[in-house]
Amino acid sequence: MAMLSDNDASEVRKIFGALVRDVHVKVYTRILECPTCRDTETILKELDQLSERLIVTFLNPETDREEAERDGVDLAPVIIVSDGSNSRVRFLGTPSGYEFSSLLTVIVDTGGEEEPLSAESVAFLDDLEEDLKVQVFVTPTCPHCPSAAVLACRMARYSGKVAAEVIEANEFGELSRRFRVQGVPRTVINGKFFVEGALPEPMVVSALKEGLKEAPSGEKNLMEYIQTD
Amino acid sequence: MDLKTGLVGRSASENRNTDLIIAGGGPAAISASLYAARYGIDHLVLESYQPGGQAALTAWIENYPGIGRITGGELVSRMKEQAESWGGTFETATATDTRVDGDLIEIKADSTTYMTRFLIIATGAAPAKLGVPGEDRFYGRGVSYCATCDAPFFKGARVMVVGGGDSAVKEGLHLAEFASELTLVHRRDRFRAEPYLAEKLLSCGNCTVLWNSTLRSIEGEDGVESVVLDTPGGETRINLDGVFIYVGRRPATEPFRGLVELNEDGTVRTRDIVHTSNKNVFAAGDVTDNGLRQVVTAVSDGARAASAVFDLLQ
Repeated sequence: MAMLSDNDASEVRKIFGALVRDVHVKVYTRILECPTCRDTETILKELDQLSERLIVTFLNPETDREEAERDGVDLAPVIIVSDGSNSRVRFLGTPSGYEFSSLLTVIVDTGGEEEPLSAESVAFLDDLEEDLKVQVFVTPTCPHCPSAAVLACRMARYSGKVAAEVIEANEFGELSRRFRVQGVPRTVINGKFFVEGALPEPMVVSALKEGLKEAPSGEKNLMEYIQTD
Repeated sequence: MDLKTGLVGRSASENRNTDLIIAGGGPAAISASLYAARYGIDHLVLESYQPGGQAALTAWIENYPGIGRITGGELVSRMKEQAESWGGTFETATATDTRVDGDLIEIKADSTTYMTRFLIIATGAAPAKLGVPGEDRFYGRGVSYCATCDAPFFKGARVMVVGGGDSAVKEGLHLAEFASELTLVHRRDRFRAEPYLAEKLLSCGNCTVLWNSTLRSIEGEDGVESVVLDTPGGETRINLDGVFIYVGRRPATEPFRGLVELNEDGTVRTRDIVHTSNKNVFAAGDVTDNGLRQVVTAVSDGARAASAVFDLLQ
């Protein structure tokens, strides 16, 4: 049975009209011990039909070990979106509910014409010295999650210093427990800074700028760096 | 499978001039945009980083006529799709400051300045905090204001809901599907919620209601472990894993202070439903003092506000 309804498919086809260059999507799935891999594969196969600009490759972290190692993938399902040159933007889990909207946005950002980040964010990323790993925990029923997820992906798409991982918290329970996720969206940066909720892009960037200057030893809420008038 | 196709907006970075700005992203704003688009009004919706407003956080909406039972997220997605199909334009930006500049209104939102002839304030409201010890500390660590987002983390867990209105009872029922035990704490001796919802909660197998009780503190080490309550029988401690708070809303009107008159509770003071103290500024939805806070009234306000702007543009 099709995952995308006729309406969804026609809406997505319209959205993909904005693609002016190829977007590479790698989909890592496996047959065993991955109850959500089949759905993920089906959704991506259907998406693949909706634009010639989309180049979808299906891989298995066990059988395509070399490539998986290069991409740093040992879990499934994992979706990597890029212009073909890197593996910095990835989604862990099935792209259902609001996760689907995040995936579509990231595809359009990657293959679209305009830079989605503000000039201030671009300047911050140009000056960035430290590597950042931004992990955003989400659920498919959370309407605030795409804002947080997409911001992380936009930063990673733009800067070679940033890697973004959007994690479906229900599917990756162990990872969620490790990062003590009990609410979404929860963003964790270098395992050091965390943010609860979706904050405006300028707020995240200015708080991150301050946080990186201080470089705290323990885990710290990024909100503490938000300057109020 | 439920797949949301709406894209996340870009952060605005160019200054703009337009006839109408609609601030907000929930049903009132979307409806105003739909009507404005059909009236041919050049307009822009400044949608915050939490699109869909409170409606998008509602697990199920069952009282929107003609639709039946639908998730709040799906309902607002459909509304937005409809507004966009008529030319409604949405940008991701949160208004932070506003002022009158001659015949125009200046709106600062993130790092962008917008100039507009007319403004519709439809910024809705955010969940009110209880203001008890532990509430901020454990936010995201067991304290939540969004059952729709966070309920799956509390499968088989002991959960408390604080409040007695529609949201508390409705979201409590949603949580009861995940939690092993749900305790609802209400400071009065009866619910303010719709009788239908109240009865459903009172007959739910794993739900308990503590009447005339208030939450005093939320405690734990790394996450929520227990709460302390004032109950008619005295102070009580209950061990549990999560606390969901639904004790009312704070209208999001701070950026408009000085532009329009506000009531003591922060809502925009309105007359004839959508008119404010400033003839070029209108208000719609939960941000107003119009009483009933429902999706159906929000969309009605949005339509009226867009129509009032249309009349002035003639």
